[in-house]
Amino acid sequence: MIRAGTRAGTLGGLANRWGFHAVLLALGALMLANLNWTLVRSFEFAFIWEYRIALINGFGITLLLTVEAGIVGILFGTLFAIGSQSPFAPLRWLVAAYVEVFRNTPLLVQLLWIHFALPLVTGINTTALVSGIIGIGLQAAAYYTEIMRAGIQAVPRGQIEAAQALGLPARTRWTRVVLPPAIRTVIPALLNQNISFFKATAIVGLGLLVDDFFNSALRVSNDTFHFIEPLTFAAAVYLVLGWQAGRWTLRLERRLTRGER
Amino acid sequence: MTETAQDSANGANGAKEGDPIVLCRDVVKRFGDFTALDAVSTEVRVGEVVCIVGPSGGGKSTFLRMINGLEGIDGGEIVVDGIHLPGGKKDIQNVRREVGMVFQSFNLFMHMSVRQNLILAPMTARGLGRKEADDRAERLLERVGIGDQIDKYPSQLSGGQQQRVAIARALAMEPRVMLFDEPTSALDPEMIKEVLDVMRELAESGMTMLVVTHEMGFAREVAGRVLFMADGQILVDAPPERFFSEAEDERQANFLSKIL
Amino acid sequence: MSFDVNIILRYYPELLGGAWVAVWITAVSLVCSSAVGAVVCIGRLQKHGAASRLATAYIDLFRATPEIVLIIWVFYCLPLLFDVRIGRYGCAIIALSAYGGAYMAEIFRAGVQAVPRGQIEAANALGIPIFHIVRRVIVPPAIGWMMPALVNFLTELLKATSLLALIGVAELIFVASTLGSKTFAYMEFYTAIAVIYFMIIFPLSVYARRAEQRRLRRTGN
Repeated sequence: MIRAGTRAGTLGGLANRWGFHAVLLALGALMLANLNWTLVRSFEFAFIWEYRIALINGFGITLLLTVEAGIVGILFGTLFAIGSQSPFAPLRWLVAAYVEVFRNTPLLVQLLWIHFALPLVTGINTTALVSGIIGIGLQAAAYYTEIMRAGIQAVPRGQIEAAQALGLPARTRWTRVVLPPAIRTVIPALLNQNISFFKATAIVGLGLLVDDFFNSALRVSNDTFHFIEPLTFAAAVYLVLGWQAGRWTLRLERRLTRGER
Repeated sequence: MTETAQDSANGANGAKEGDPIVLCRDVVKRFGDFTALDAVSTEVRVGEVVCIVGPSGGGKSTFLRMINGLEGIDGGEIVVDGIHLPGGKKDIQNVRREVGMVFQSFNLFMHMSVRQNLILAPMTARGLGRKEADDRAERLLERVGIGDQIDKYPSQLSGGQQQRVAIARALAMEPRVMLFDEPTSALDPEMIKEVLDVMRELAESGMTMLVVTHEMGFAREVAGRVLFMADGQILVDAPPERFFSEAEDERQANFLSKIL
Repeated sequence: MSFDVNIILRYYPELLGGAWVAVWITAVSLVCSSAVGAVVCIGRLQKHGAASRLATAYIDLFRATPEIVLIIWVFYCLPLLFDVRIGRYGCAIIALSAYGGAYMAEIFRAGVQAVPRGQIEAANALGIPIFHIVRRVIVPPAIGWMMPALVNFLTELLKATSLLALIGVAELIFVASTLGSKTFAYMEFYTAIAVIYFMIIFPLSVYARRAEQRRLRRTGN
């Protein structure tokens, strides 16, 4: 009684007053009551095993695209970020325009454009997977450029001036003085971004009909007319991997910030 | 003031000059295993000014916050003008209308102008009209000497001015008791005096005040009683002239030797 | 290769129709996300208990699952599970609101926690009723704090509507693909919708960035 009174001022207390738990219970009960129990009882996950080869292959594609996003993204992102610090203005504008275009349009639009419109410009037809690889790479480069740029700008100005005062050549200045601390500070952001790209690879699968993990699962559904089991299984795989990767990143981030103190 | 039947059973009864207005009986506060207040008993009469001094961590602030219902009570009771704590939400709300509080870090609402800071509580908790609340705000700001700052925002004021606004904000509720939790500890030295002057004027006007402070000069000059708190207990309760001349407790002597 | 602007102009009502669908689905989903987010946020703000754990689980679940997976799952599985007809648009809004609720909850939480404890304590000490504390003391500064994140989330939501083409919602991509297969002018239509998306999203993200910088300058770090 006393405790409830003093907590009345906090939002937690507010929630208690609303009978928050009662509402939750009611919602849960409502959902359970409306479930199609005949269907739920007929659930059977075992048949997914028969499609293991297709699913594993699909997972390989998903991994390929994820790793590619990381490698291409960090490589080109770093290059573009260095470009964004150039004293030569048109180069800075070019980098800025590239980043803005790819960050402010949906990935699916970019993928479709690359797969269906770009061949009309270049005359080279690309397979769906290659289009996906190009699209993910281009977008990753844009997102990682922003991250690397933030990292570079976080390096104290004095460090760069000291390097200049010592007469270090530009190359050495970047590779030995600026980039190492810059990359160190953005490692958690880079990893979080790569988790986002892991999630985004499913768009390549469905959008361009590449047989990645999720599209393979959807194929199993279409094959067997069992939709819920394969799709739920696939969703659970993404969920568990994405969640676990997020936790690792968070732990790493905490360790890195502790190290700085 | 009495709105419901419940209130009249446990409500403000309008203590007169000299009557006890804050009564504490064996008040206990625990944080987990740590006992912050260990059976504290005292009383404060209408018009009295009581300064609470002592080493940090001794329970002074916790004690003050409990009188205003900001901390729950784990044992014993506090009676403010006839309202008993611990009690229901209504009781806590009623106590807070009787008791104003001034914090070390001012805690002004940063997104509101000085005027808005002053009229919010009277309008929402006392049901005052806009005009009345405005008049009261202007009068109180005049009283604390910053009538010309009414339409500024807290960030545009000095620390001393902010604390004076905070005092005016608490006074706008027309409390019968004012609590001050180290009101000058966060201030630059040159601003301490202007806040203490306001508090002195308030004391002279007959306001009942409980002040947690490290300003021994203020305690000596303005307080009617000085309480020494350490380890969650009131170890000494004496008028200032005796408190500062003859220490009756070893820890009090130790504390005074460090601070004077 | 040639770029035929005329064909875009000829079909601009269809394209505008697609843009309108994307915008209204975003708007409805934003409102629903806010409602879901507010409830989840209140649960998350509890220090312990079932509501707190449930809210945390909700946020983890919907932030770790890819949006596209969620959309497809809702579209194929939800109607079967509950034996109801929901329709493409209903599924779209349910999926985006469930996903958005998790993000909005975190945005709300950051905003509420950015309000210093002392402000709430002072309001309590003054005896201000809880409703007015929330409305006058907590919400205004929290909104100022949340604005950049909110607008950023809005751009994410707009981009996520593009995925709805995959369940047959007639938003921009769906319209462009349909027109493309009819006229073979893929180049023109996909370029056109990219430009439309950019014109909607770019100003928002510029605003979000500026607001963020303003906020950082104001709070001094």
